[in-house]
Amino acid sequence: MFFLSCGRGPGRGSLFAALFLLAPAAPAADAPAGEAKAQVCAACHGPGGNSTDPQFPSLAAQPPIYVFYQLLQFREQRRKDARMSPFAEKLTDADMKDIAAYYAAQKPAAPTLAADPAKVAAGKAIAQRFYCSSCHTSTFAGQNHIARLAGQHYDYLVKELRGFKTGARPDIDGTMASAAQPLTDEDITNVAHYLASLR
Amino acid sequence: MDKLLRSAALGIAFAAVAFVSLAQQPAPPAVTTPGQPAGAPPNTPVAPPIPPTWAQGRSAEQEALNLAPHPPGMTALPENEIPLKTLKVPKGFEVTLWASGMPNARSMVFGPKGTLFVGTRFPGNVYAVVDKGGKREVKTIGKGLYRSNGVAFKNGALYVAELSRIIRYDNIEDNLENPPQPVVVFDALPKDEPHGWKFMTLGPDGWLYFQIGSPGNIVMPPSTHASIMRLDPERKVMENVVLGVRNSVGMDFHPVTKQLWFTNNGRDWVNDDLPNDTLHRVTAKGQHFGFPYCHQGDLLDPEFGKGRSCSEFAPPAAKLGPHVAALGMRFYTGSSFPAEYKNNIFIAEHGSWNRTKKTGYNVSRAVVDSSGKVVKVEPFVTGWLQDGDKFWGRPADVQVMRDGSLLVSDDVAGAIFRVAYKK
Repeated sequence: MFFLSCGRGPGRGSLFAALFLLAPAAPAADAPAGEAKAQVCAACHGPGGNSTDPQFPSLAAQPPIYVFYQLLQFREQRRKDARMSPFAEKLTDADMKDIAAYYAAQKPAAPTLAADPAKVAAGKAIAQRFYCSSCHTSTFAGQNHIARLAGQHYDYLVKELRGFKTGARPDIDGTMASAAQPLTDEDITNVAHYLASLR
Repeated sequence: MDKLLRSAALGIAFAAVAFVSLAQQPAPPAVTTPGQPAGAPPNTPVAPPIPPTWAQGRSAEQEALNLAPHPPGMTALPENEIPLKTLKVPKGFEVTLWASGMPNARSMVFGPKGTLFVGTRFPGNVYAVVDKGGKREVKTIGKGLYRSNGVAFKNGALYVAELSRIIRYDNIEDNLENPPQPVVVFDALPKDEPHGWKFMTLGPDGWLYFQIGSPGNIVMPPSTHASIMRLDPERKVMENVVLGVRNSVGMDFHPVTKQLWFTNNGRDWVNDDLPNDTLHRVTAKGQHFGFPYCHQGDLLDPEFGKGRSCSEFAPPAAKLGPHVAALGMRFYTGSSFPAEYKNNIFIAEHGSWNRTKKTGYNVSRAVVDSSGKVVKVEPFVTGWLQDGDKFWGRPADVQVMRDGSLLVSDDVAGAIFRVAYKK
């Protein structure tokens, strides 16, 4: 009944809809306004949210609640990053929703990783064995507060998975921290290779 | 009876819990043997990977339903975006917005000087709400805590139950502007995240009561889990109270009989209509309420129920509906509601995710007769769910005010509502 949260299935009425559309006086998230507010973000996260520097995550087509909640975590100092925190601390909830709506509407660029078929296969097997698609969906497009992983930068995926395992990257409800515990470093690099190769 | 399962034995049992768990506060970097869980002794067999907790017990057909838990409530709706008018109460009652701006506001307790303390599950905050003559002032007195869901008050101190420990803020009501550093009261609780956040309340015996939930949807729990425990916060002695409770996120003591009553969340992935969440009455210490063998008093588990009978276990006092997520409950001890409400139970139903048609998202009223029998359960506050599928908030706990009105916390709207009787 009441569980570690993992988002909802795609294509159904969502909390997002409830928060942004139902409440009578609630202004809807404004993607064009978000584009203006996200101009400063492009320096690292790339034009249209497709970053070209692999240490910075791509944000194009990320689920809007995911980007909103991560910005919130940065602002509240629950997720800490010396480069991100100064930007997040200035944002209101409405700014974050607008920025999230803008990135959610962007088209993800084709993966840049030079894929090694052996590593892709090994990583795919790990993703299946560890039930990653239960929350991240079968296409790894993410849902609600769950991140899109398809086509994300390899370097970023490796860093964050290692961080979930050690606790350096906090997660909201403990699901990823638990999921990352049994992964070896080889598992992490293989699964990151697989996810980075997806479009 | 009191000697049953004393703390020493439990301490050993906790140390033996082998479930993958994390340090309550961020874990130190673990040095691990490849393929082995962090902290495991050498040559420990590697456990097979398991699905995320919520997906345990889900069949291949059920995967196609695209049901998964809702995103956690992380923000507070601005006051002007809270659709208060959609909330409906019985004739003669009135509901108002009492306080807002508290992301993830959940469990509530009053201090004797009238401060309301509010715990949270995700942001790690504890709020204090002070009534300033018609306006409420919200202060964040606890920050950076870990699953700080449970709150109780004793001898001037606020007790907070985190994931794996109980902490205490001494003399808190006199120091709301400058809260003291918390004192750790007890830090030997399990660290499992699934059903690891705690509901906590003070018993008439001076012990703190809280649950240790099942570490999965439907699993054979360690002997320490799927239980309600109690802790003597002065002597630091912990005991088991009852067993076979999947996850209780609401408890209260009957104002006359002093018996413990609690709500319980039923398992997922049986079907839309089974099993019910349940309301229970404890008539003897050590009672077993069925999990994981028997649900709702009359439904053997398809897997764990084999060879068992529901007659082995204590039955529930009432069925509350399937997947409603019955959380906080309190007896109505006020006097401003009509006489028939005396010693009724109000129950916050957080609302379903594991059901194709949503249910719950209400505050229910259970009428209990003088023999302890539940004679009626009916909706009391409705309207968080609109058009059958969209919700703007989720009730998490209830609390009776000194003036007899009822507070309802909402962990998605980040607000507290007040229901008063107007006649």
